[in-house]
Amino acid sequence: MSAVVVDQSKNGGTPTSDDLARAAAIKRMERREGWKRRLPVLPALIYTILVTQIPFLFTLFYSLTDWRIDKVEPRQFIGVENYASLSGDKFFRDAAWISVQMTVMAVLLSLIVGTGLAILLDRKFFGQGFIRTLLITPFLVMPVVAGLMWKLQMFNSTFGIIGWVMNGLGFDSIEFATKYPLASVVVVLVWQWSPFMMLIVLAGLQGQDQSVLEAARVDGASSWGTFRQITLPQLRPFLELGTLLGAIYLIQVYDHIEVIVGGQPGAKNLPFYIAQRSIGGGNVFGLASAYSIVVVIASIIIANIGLRVLSNLLEDNS
Amino acid sequence: MAEVRYQEASRIYPGTEEPAVNQLNLDIGDGELLVLVGPSGSGKSTALRMLAGLETVNMGSIWINEVDVTLKPPQDRDIAMVFQNYALYPSMTVGDNMGFALKQQKVPKAERAERVAEAARILDLTEYLDRKPKNLSGGQRQRVAMGRAIVRQPQVFLMDEPLSNLDAKLRVQTRTELADLQARLGVTTVYVTHDQVEAMTMGHRVAVLNFGVLQQVDAPKTLYAAPANKFVAGFIGSPAMNLFDAENVDGKPGIAGVAVPINDAVAAALKGQSLDKVSVGVRPEHLTLGTAGIEGEVTVVEELGSESFVHVRTDHRGEATNIVVRDRGETQTARGDRVKIDFDGPLHVFGEDGQRVTA
Amino acid sequence: MAIFTRAPKAEPILGQNRAVAMVLGVLTWIIGLLFFFPLFWLVVNGFKEESVASSSPTLNFDPTLDRFSEVTEDSGGLLSFTEAFGNSFWIVLISTVLVMVLAIPAAYALAIRPMRKWRDILFFFISTKFLPIVGIIMPIWIIARDLDLLGTRTVLVVLYTAMNLPLAVWMLRSFFAEVPKELIEASQIDGCSLLGQIRQVILPIVAPGVAATALLCVIFAWNEFFFAIQLNPTGASTIPVWVNSQQKFQGQFLAGLSAASVLATLPVVLAGWVAQKRMIRGLAMGAIK
Ligand SMILES: Nc1ncnc2c1ncn2[C@@H]1O[C@H](COP(=O)(O)OP(=O)(O)OP(=O)(O)O)[C@@H](O)[C@H]1O
Ligand SMILES: [Mg+2]
Repeated sequence: MSAVVVDQSKNGGTPTSDDLARAAAIKRMERREGWKRRLPVLPALIYTILVTQIPFLFTLFYSLTDWRIDKVEPRQFIGVENYASLSGDKFFRDAAWISVQMTVMAVLLSLIVGTGLAILLDRKFFGQGFIRTLLITPFLVMPVVAGLMWKLQMFNSTFGIIGWVMNGLGFDSIEFATKYPLASVVVVLVWQWSPFMMLIVLAGLQGQDQSVLEAARVDGASSWGTFRQITLPQLRPFLELGTLLGAIYLIQVYDHIEVIVGGQPGAKNLPFYIAQRSIGGGNVFGLASAYSIVVVIASIIIANIGLRVLSNLLEDNS
Repeated sequence: MAEVRYQEASRIYPGTEEPAVNQLNLDIGDGELLVLVGPSGSGKSTALRMLAGLETVNMGSIWINEVDVTLKPPQDRDIAMVFQNYALYPSMTVGDNMGFALKQQKVPKAERAERVAEAARILDLTEYLDRKPKNLSGGQRQRVAMGRAIVRQPQVFLMDEPLSNLDAKLRVQTRTELADLQARLGVTTVYVTHDQVEAMTMGHRVAVLNFGVLQQVDAPKTLYAAPANKFVAGFIGSPAMNLFDAENVDGKPGIAGVAVPINDAVAAALKGQSLDKVSVGVRPEHLTLGTAGIEGEVTVVEELGSESFVHVRTDHRGEATNIVVRDRGETQTARGDRVKIDFDGPLHVFGEDGQRVTA
Repeated sequence: MAIFTRAPKAEPILGQNRAVAMVLGVLTWIIGLLFFFPLFWLVVNGFKEESVASSSPTLNFDPTLDRFSEVTEDSGGLLSFTEAFGNSFWIVLISTVLVMVLAIPAAYALAIRPMRKWRDILFFFISTKFLPIVGIIMPIWIIARDLDLLGTRTVLVVLYTAMNLPLAVWMLRSFFAEVPKELIEASQIDGCSLLGQIRQVILPIVAPGVAATALLCVIFAWNEFFFAIQLNPTGASTIPVWVNSQQKFQGQFLAGLSAASVLATLPVVLAGWVAQKRMIRGLAMGAIK
């Protein structure tokens, strides 16, 4: 006989108190389960909020005051006055412009150089692993050391390598870091960040779907054609990721500037200038806070674009 | 030893409307090997995982040995599960994998070793006890997964497509071994598969699921001989049953202009139902190529040696319709032949509601 | 037979011509060596006498270890190498341990048994990395000053932990996500406690990823300069501050500074070399997996 057992007549459809108690127990269990899942993330979350988000609110508050830490006068709430003064503040505009130039140049150049290096490394040749190891080393070097090293033994006009090479070629050696402070900083940044970009692009190249590449070969595509039409689109998310991570770090560069150009004008970006005007001795906390907020807003704009890219990546792949 | 009972058990995944398992009622006897079968996405795994405690039961309850385990976590249910990908702990040796659950239960070391050795002997794994899973073949891994389950001597074995990662030949062999092992150990077993041959050959009883709803649960023979509804009729059997919406031939249900022979009881049961909404089914072995009956043209002959399946194109309800006929021995027909198909065995009639019309 | 030769590996972008391959290989070597050259020169300079280092570049000199011993000597009240190294060591160690203690459970909650809205939480962690440090440095300085923490190791431990935490959560999540779900379920059925599950089932699988993540945290913390110089310029400061202090504004100091730089950089470069492959996979794949 067949036994199709959908016994809906049981209890006549009306829930008994027993059923209700059970339903409540299931609800309770699910809620407990929800908390059990959330609990492990809470310490990290709370720590991050305490150390990064709360201070930011303070900065926001300072930026609305005329606070100078060296004066005993009580700080006064002055609304958006600090912000209003920004447009007429030449130092601020200079620093902002330096920030833009430095970030854009460093990100783009290291992306280009890094991609080139990745393409060169993505083929078998004698000593591949060794050369890759040499190439990533600049990224591991302490920024302070990188800055000092370039300033003194590369850029210096008497004992620097660049000057020596130029002399050898019949040119006069120049004090590179003094004459071209911005370019000097960018060169060092690109030297340090190209390896990072290279690694990310390399991960993309090596993670390619080989069967697609083979199919393209069978279809008779040239290597360049394959690269442009298949590899590059597959590489895009990696290039975007590199740009994003690079931009996050490079917009905040401080160490290199401190070491290579120090207090001289010509390569002071916003973070450097802000530190100088506040805790670095400038003491105008209110105004410097307003500068900071502007940097934060700029970063949020970059971040928003970036996060959208990242969220696409997560959606596509999980 | 244990009986298992699903009672009105439903699972609704968060964020979905339709229950993945809908008011499941199912009694599984002590020592029984019950197979859950159904198409992909029908809720087999979900039903099994509800029993394991890996999915919340949103409504209804689940009982093991007359104990309500609905709210119990997996480790308190005294069950063992074999996963499709085996889920062996990669960092542990075969022996440690098999003894892991016992270690969690704080079983003394000596007893643990003894039980692992015993299970390894049964499964022919003794020489692999010190290897890591990654150094085993697929079949050996499958046996380790089995070993991990039997070492525990649980109340119930749960298996979710445990053979589907093996190649075809090994699968058939392991199938028999597994059924034999289960019979020897006598442990109640719930076995999930989407392969109906596996279901029919292994199960003491087979439960057929579709869209989370239990369609029928019966011994394989009954399932084959008397499918409870159109879905089961079409799902069980290979090649599948010839199953058509009937047409009205002189007040009787018919196929391609030929009335099917039904007895009076069925005819009586069909009274009042619209005949072109009724379905009739007949298995290929219950048709013969003869001199009278449904006319058609042979399109394909599948020759299997001991038998062959002849595909015949007929005109049914104004459409070209394929009918499969089993021909014993070497068939005399070839593509293009005009043939006549005669009924030679039981018929299955399903009413307007898709349920079997019992004679 | 041709059929049995190996399947063609996907063709490299720049063609397969042997001569081209040769030229490109050599080119890659040259570029690699050029990239590394400044570091090579740094090491070379560290072995020179000051007078040799401060004249026209040369490879013709008698190598000496004197600079290394000079820079590691006690320098009379100023931050010495030993002090700075000790400070760096403890600050980096403690902050990295803290990061791991906080990030491993978080990664578990985001990958193994994902809570609802785990994506939003992950985004929050990443997005804190978009908050420029200058956006928070002033209040932190004020709070540290008011709590009398300026010039202590504690303040750097707290900040480095916060600095590395999002990155660690991000990387660990991607490593944890590779643990098959069934393994976790099997361990639940086997009666494993949560702690046992993490220790005996998950960690053995993700250990290399955890190590790589920890290493990256070590590298970033070891190299950090901004917080160190702003909040802790004095006695309790770290190796980057010490290196920077080796610049002198009179006399010759390049050889000494080079020796100091080598000492400061070496631990992290070695660590990075060892873990390079896994580190980048964690970084890049964090977004992809
Ligand atoms: N975690 C989940 N969240 C939401 N829906 C789910 C989840 N797991 C399964 N489902 C849905 O529940 C239904 C039943 O899934 P289940 O895995 O039980 O099917 P199955 O019968 O085991 O299929 P298969 O043979 O493919 O394994 C499917 O429609 C599936 O999409
Ligand atoms: Mg399934």
